[in-house]
Amino acid sequence: MFKKKAKKREKIDIVFNIIVIFFAILSLFPLYWLVTSSFKNSADVVKMPPDWFPKTFTWSNYADVFSNQPAFTWAYNSLVVALVSTFALIIVSALAAYAFSKLKFKGKNILFIIFISSLMIPKEVMIVPLFRIIQDFGMVNTLSGMIFPNVATAFGVFLLKGFFDTIPDSLREAAKIDGASEFKIFYKIMLPLAKPGIGALFILNFVQVWNDYLWQLVVGQSKDSKTLMVGIATLMQDLNPNFAYKMAGATVAAIPMLLIFIFFQKYFTKGITLGSDK
Amino acid sequence: MFKKRFLTMGLATGLVLSALAGCAEKESGNSDVDSDSGKEVELRVWLTPQWKGVLDGSEEGADYDSFFKHAAERFEKEYKDHNVNVNVEVVAGDQRDELLNVNLNGGTPPDVFFESVFAMGDYAHRGALVPINDIVDDAAKNDIAQNYWDNVTFGDDVYFYPFSQNPGTFAYNAEMFEAAGLEKYIGGEEEIKTWTLAEYEEILKALKENLPKEKYSNAYPMGLFALNNQGDTWNLAYLRMFGNQFFDKDGQLVINDENGAKAASWMKKIYDAGYTNPGAESVSSNDVNAMFQNQQLAISFTNAILFNNAKADMESGKAPKFDIRLANIPSESGDPLSFTYVTGAAVFDTKDETRIQVSKDFVKFMSTDPELVKASKNGVPVRNSVVEEFSAENPFFAAYAANAPYVFNFTGNVPGYSQLRQVLYPELQALYTGAKTAEETVEGYQTKGNQVIEEAKANSVIYK
Repeated sequence: MFKKKAKKREKIDIVFNIIVIFFAILSLFPLYWLVTSSFKNSADVVKMPPDWFPKTFTWSNYADVFSNQPAFTWAYNSLVVALVSTFALIIVSALAAYAFSKLKFKGKNILFIIFISSLMIPKEVMIVPLFRIIQDFGMVNTLSGMIFPNVATAFGVFLLKGFFDTIPDSLREAAKIDGASEFKIFYKIMLPLAKPGIGALFILNFVQVWNDYLWQLVVGQSKDSKTLMVGIATLMQDLNPNFAYKMAGATVAAIPMLLIFIFFQKYFTKGITLGSDK
Repeated sequence: MFKKRFLTMGLATGLVLSALAGCAEKESGNSDVDSDSGKEVELRVWLTPQWKGVLDGSEEGADYDSFFKHAAERFEKEYKDHNVNVNVEVVAGDQRDELLNVNLNGGTPPDVFFESVFAMGDYAHRGALVPINDIVDDAAKNDIAQNYWDNVTFGDDVYFYPFSQNPGTFAYNAEMFEAAGLEKYIGGEEEIKTWTLAEYEEILKALKENLPKEKYSNAYPMGLFALNNQGDTWNLAYLRMFGNQFFDKDGQLVINDENGAKAASWMKKIYDAGYTNPGAESVSSNDVNAMFQNQQLAISFTNAILFNNAKADMESGKAPKFDIRLANIPSESGDPLSFTYVTGAAVFDTKDETRIQVSKDFVKFMSTDPELVKASKNGVPVRNSVVEEFSAENPFFAAYAANAPYVFNFTGNVPGYSQLRQVLYPELQALYTGAKTAEETVEGYQTKGNQVIEEAKANSVIYK
């Protein structure tokens, strides 16, 4: 009886697995099509019936993307902006989150609510005043102009405070009794324990900054100060009939993010499921 | 371990941040230039992609900014009143309004913008541009026909210096016509063929039925698109096919009449008959252009620059080669429906008198210098002198000139034209998906469009 049930369950699992695999293939197909098309010539991309795998394999589309446009500069800019603003955000957020979570000071809760409320303001609303500030600092067409506004966001504080809250206060108290300073407690005890949260914040913010379009567009106005997303978008708008060339541009923009996701998947999932378990 | 890594990370970030902040370049073109001393003036010249090269796309290193960088270099050398530095930036068409609006709100508009007038007219209505009547002299007025001056005049003032024009037509694949047995409808290689509406319907039908499937698999007779506002001028032309007046003398839309509904009904009819690509509501003009160049469409929209680019792409092997020719958009009356994009430079009101004056001088320089104006041959020159000089080299100049009597002003120079463009394509999407009838489509467009125009009129400095 029990064996029969197990066998039945196994069969159901197989069916479900087949369905899951089918949908996984289905959702991966656009990516497959994007990458393989970028190695075709223009006519082959629109051929009917389509070549499911490139019959003629060419690197020329990539060569064109990198030779016609400063794509390496754009990629470098994107990497610097995403990495530096993410590291800076982590430092600033961790300090603020620790204070909100563990320190006692007057108006803490109100201050935290104000912080969190800022999350409700869409970034688009702040574009013009923010642009004026950046302009007054002479940071238009600079990477720092793209970086600084990304450091001052409340999301990191909100996320990391959740992690610090889960760490027992007794650890801090014990360290204090042992004579540790507040900063020592922060970086020696609390930070290592909040590592999963920092990882999640890193990946979430990195993805967000990498994919940011509007702010990077208005700050990076000269060709050499554009980021990859903005630069590649100009390729897409070009009235160029060569779809393979555009696919190559889109692949260049997508690959770094894909790699980041593959390597940091654990943290990414952690970030998404944050707060879902008790 | 983690502590060390964190500290290293923090230090590295701090170092990079301070380095980056230190490297921050001063934004050029800001009001802090030394304009009062009359020594240093920094101008920002922006343009959307127009043509590559100084005079020709075949030049080595030809790019969209080549001409303007060359003009800027000469201006910097030849200008005597101030020591001028001109920075040229190419802005993608889709990014233009975002960049301009943020910079206008930030008080740092560019000094000069080179673009199609229709895309920039709203900035004149908003008071963001300065009139340039004072740099237009009699020599220019005599060399450039009045209809181009009308195109760049808002109220009583000239806001753009006409440089070239870019007439919109159809492009067709003569080889596909031949394959469908339509030889008698093929025009000359240097002709803009005019078909009657009845002939055009016959052409579409024959292409649908007779195009050999083995050679042109997955091909359709005509390109139709309504995904966004790109290329909407052709859709506006189709709506005039049955003789609609479109704008009345007060600048109000008057499309909601029998002729307007007939035109919308015609668009739906050819769509339903399968004479166009499917899914027009989710297809953009860029897609249609690419489909045409990949021989999936026999007839598509084009303009002089797109046409030249398409031929250049074919010559260079970037796109499949075929016999591409031009035709007019047909109408029920038999007269061609013709429109043109006048391109030219405008001067923004930067609130800095010196910069505005130098900007005007730069615009005059690039728009009148005998050598520089030759670059207008990349589109169609607005200057008769340039047309004459290059008509032997480009026989289409004469063909475009022959269309001049049929040119309609598609914007009506009404305020709020940019927003008006946002109203049309959702109505066309509703038409193609069957959510609205032809009558409802034109009614919806007129009602919503006139609301946009009224609101824009209230804010227009020209209507005040």
